[in-house]
Amino acid sequence: MGNNNQIKVLSRRDALKLAGTAAAFCASFGFLHREGEAGPHAQSQVKGELMRTHKIKWERAQIKWYAGDTLLHAGNFPPAVLKHLQSDVNASVQIKWYRSGQLLQSMHKIEAKW
Amino acid sequence: MSGQQARRLVFDLRRDSPFSFECLACGRCCQGKVILVGPHEILGMARVLGAGTTEFLSRYTEGGGTTLRTTDDSRCVFVGPEGGCRVHPRRPLVCRLYPLGRQTGGDDGEAFALYGAHPGCQAVIGRDGTVASFLESQGVEPYVDWSRRYSELYIRMIEILGRAEPEPESAAAGPRVDKEQNRTPLTAKAPRAPSNTGRSARKKAGTQQSAERTGLPPDGSETWPAPTAQLSPWLDIDSSLAEYCAARGLAPPADIDAAIDLHIRAMEEWLEALETGPSVSA
Repeated sequence: MGNNNQIKVLSRRDALKLAGTAAAFCASFGFLHREGEAGPHAQSQVKGELMRTHKIKWERAQIKWYAGDTLLHAGNFPPAVLKHLQSDVNASVQIKWYRSGQLLQSMHKIEAKW
Repeated sequence: MSGQQARRLVFDLRRDSPFSFECLACGRCCQGKVILVGPHEILGMARVLGAGTTEFLSRYTEGGGTTLRTTDDSRCVFVGPEGGCRVHPRRPLVCRLYPLGRQTGGDDGEAFALYGAHPGCQAVIGRDGTVASFLESQGVEPYVDWSRRYSELYIRMIEILGRAEPEPESAAAGPRVDKEQNRTPLTAKAPRAPSNTGRSARKKAGTQQSAERTGLPPDGSETWPAPTAQLSPWLDIDSSLAEYCAARGLAPPADIDAAIDLHIRAMEEWLEALETGPSVSA
């Protein structure tokens, strides 16, 4: 293991792969971050919705597109966006529809906290 | 299952707690669930289907390769037309645990929670055994151990990320030195993480190759779902080990458990190289 007092400067390629892999494992295994602790320790395996236990806000943000009840596409928020949303209590998400540069509709802001 | 239900789960069971579960294979529990899967589980299920992990990830997962797809009526993609699970011998840990949820690392260590009965579920939940005997009957232990080992890798990843910062954008075009911070970026001599799009990733499973040649699914019975990008190339064990073994003149293990062991070792080496690479004082 490396020295904890050293700052590692990762290449962007390594940083992206590392963040992506951590995000994948976080989702796949249900690993949870616990506020106020240095590292992730808790994990849960539950057949169902990702657990949001006490102290835990959320681990993954996803947007889904439907036609009626049919799921057309689902996409996770990129890790960098996730990190921002998780770290800033005032962070929010807003969805807007445009056509030819003209705003058609603006959704309410969705706060990334609860 | 709703978020409201999830939040009501109480992890108050231990391994010696009275518990029994007589499943009558009604399949109700395979509907309306989010089935999260790890790379080792993907490998196991792929082998049951006679497929490679690349093909499996493309056909049967979403959420960046972390979640099993569901059908339009929200059933797990592996529920067969007559009911029953098509990958049952290598079903994921969460399916083995059901109707229990498992949590570790909390204040109380390992703990289990019991779901409320799924609507229409015909199983009989009782107290004729213990949680431990139920877990044994479901073959849970290897999966628990793999989860523990992957969790150790995850902790290392988070620690590295917590002590790291990306190289500056200018570094890509110019000298690899951040003049403002006077830091030398890590040019990790790390074993390269497997590529999502590399040649080796494309020449894995034979079924995938034949499918690509014909443009049809291997079994010809379904249409290809839209491919989804994986969150990490490490989720694809076949591809990961193909690259890892090719670089070392090794033959990828045919045995599932051996492949998982090697996958974990390859990831350990990757992280070790990142951890021991050049760094600067905080």
